[in-house]
Amino acid sequence: MLKTPETGTWRRTSPFAILFFIGRILRLIAKNAWQSLAPLFALLVTYQGDLVSKLILGASAFAIVVTVGSVLSYWFFRFQLLDDSILIRQGVIKKKQLDIKFDRIQGINTQQNIIYRYLGLVTVTFDTAGSAGSEGNLPAVTREFAGSLRTRISGNGAAEEADESADVPQSDALVHLGWRDMVRIGLADRRALLIFAVAGPLLERLEDDAERVIADAVAMAAGYGLEIDTSSGVWIGVSAVLILIVVLVLLSVAAAFLRFHDYQLFLDQRSLRSVGGLLTRHEHTMDLGKIQTLRLQQGIVQRWLGRFRMTARQAMSKGGAEAKKRYFDIPVVTAELADQLRRQLLAPEAGILTQDPRSNQFAAVSPYYMRSRILFVGVLPALLATTFFSLEIGLYGLSFLLWLPIVAAVAYRSWRRAGYLHDDNEIVRRSGLLGYRTVALLFRKVQRVSVTQSRYQRRKNLASLRMYMASGSVRIPYISHETAKQLRDYILYKVESSDKAWH
Amino acid sequence: MFQNPEIDLTLLPRAEDLEWQGLHAAFKKRLRVHMAIVIAIVAVAFAVPSFIPGVPIPVILSLWASLAIVTTLTMIWPALAVPRRGYAVRDKDIVFRKGILWRSVTAIPFNRIQHVETSSDPLDRKFDLATLQLFTAGGSGGDLKIDGLGKDVAEQLRAFILEKVGAIVENA
Repeated sequence: MLKTPETGTWRRTSPFAILFFIGRILRLIAKNAWQSLAPLFALLVTYQGDLVSKLILGASAFAIVVTVGSVLSYWFFRFQLLDDSILIRQGVIKKKQLDIKFDRIQGINTQQNIIYRYLGLVTVTFDTAGSAGSEGNLPAVTREFAGSLRTRISGNGAAEEADESADVPQSDALVHLGWRDMVRIGLADRRALLIFAVAGPLLERLEDDAERVIADAVAMAAGYGLEIDTSSGVWIGVSAVLILIVVLVLLSVAAAFLRFHDYQLFLDQRSLRSVGGLLTRHEHTMDLGKIQTLRLQQGIVQRWLGRFRMTARQAMSKGGAEAKKRYFDIPVVTAELADQLRRQLLAPEAGILTQDPRSNQFAAVSPYYMRSRILFVGVLPALLATTFFSLEIGLYGLSFLLWLPIVAAVAYRSWRRAGYLHDDNEIVRRSGLLGYRTVALLFRKVQRVSVTQSRYQRRKNLASLRMYMASGSVRIPYISHETAKQLRDYILYKVESSDKAWH
Repeated sequence: MFQNPEIDLTLLPRAEDLEWQGLHAAFKKRLRVHMAIVIAIVAVAFAVPSFIPGVPIPVILSLWASLAIVTTLTMIWPALAVPRRGYAVRDKDIVFRKGILWRSVTAIPFNRIQHVETSSDPLDRKFDLATLQLFTAGGSGGDLKIDGLGKDVAEQLRAFILEKVGAIVENA
């Protein structure tokens, strides 16, 4: 088995990689091929003969195909370490060679399922910058091998002291999440709310059915001389809904346990590392230098719990689900812990500012931000709709005026939430509607900057500043034109006089 | 020797009082020709219902009237928009401004440019124009695109920027 990364020879991973390939083939079938398997299955069932023995035959044939496929995939999977890259050759019928350059690798993530954990094996995933479809995996390599790869890659380009750092005793965890935090994650999970929203209409149907069942039960009970009145019937319905909610929340909490159980965050030298997960342990690393923005988010539930979610984002070439995988996630932190972490993550040049949205250090943006929204999104459309529809439907057209208070409330809330705060090296922007979101970035990592003025803003001598980062853009709306220009000139000065790498 | 001079914010170079370089004079004409071609195609499409009997006359009239309005606007628009666009090249960055209603000024430092591209479509070539595109890292929106440059100017800019980017890479 592999102990140290030797260069220049082709080699295979551990035979336990077959497990990984079985998983991959099954996933592939589940995703693409189940439609074509269904007719086969139907054929098998309708063909004459004993059903049970046919099923056994079919299942074993399927198992054999999958196993042979996995063994072949394992056999044809080889990799080679070079001085500055890793080559991976794979594919049974269609051969593919991947060449992953070390300096393109943003981080090395590992996953360890429950079997691998007993064997001390991990599956390594290389996180490469902006090269879609060429993400590489190394299934079933030893933990030590993954560790040495990690030090090697973080050593590449940076200081050559990487070898020593491997001997440094492991630092204490900066964050360690317990079961209470799992409950918090589960409660705050937006998907739980989403399930509820989707299930909402379904619940109504269920309620109808439940009503009928209850009515029947009541009738039956009456027949037997039992006394169940309608109020207890309603009570049964309500408790059914409550039970459903509880089940959903429990599921969400269970998901949190699966993903984040025993979550620990470490800072080894200049790289951030997190480990967590109940069955499959996920280990993520990110170089501190690669952090483009630090984000602190708080939804309504999290606000009520007094907790935040922190994400560190790195350069990416596309948005969407693919980009989301690249966030370095710290699922629950308190505001104090978040600020403490920031000081370490953005040291030495920044991180002194607070990212706590409740802080009163934030400078507000101009109230015209609110006024322009009320005017252009609220008043004008509402008046237009009212006059237009009043001709058609008479006084009911006035109901369009109800749009106004909604827009006004939204505009007021988001104006109150909007704000910014900066020092010589760093800027923090705050935004939000129901919850809060603060984004922090280093001036010197800005890619380009623009100052925009609408006609309305020009009249009020205001402007919006947008800073484009390698991980997306951050906008500060409705600040005075003079401030925007000054910030822009200062950012350009910081970027152009910086000799540090932005990534 | 470590130095940490204090920065006077008011003395920082301002990306404002610049001598803006305009786009090529033929660019307005190019935009108009482009729009004229599009409008001609639409006009042909509109001509079809006009000759079909039974289509109500008000419908036909309103179709042509809206086309006339669009034509006028698209012919006026280049005269307003093109003079508003301009770029300024400084030692360490390039600044581009544009917009009639929404005016924006965008600055890209040379040490953040990943690559540079010039291109011209057939219509551009007819008027001897080219488009210069500057790419920075990250997927946030389109990168800076300056169209309507003279072909020679675009080439010069490209060479100049590449030289600047190269010099920064060598020094790093």
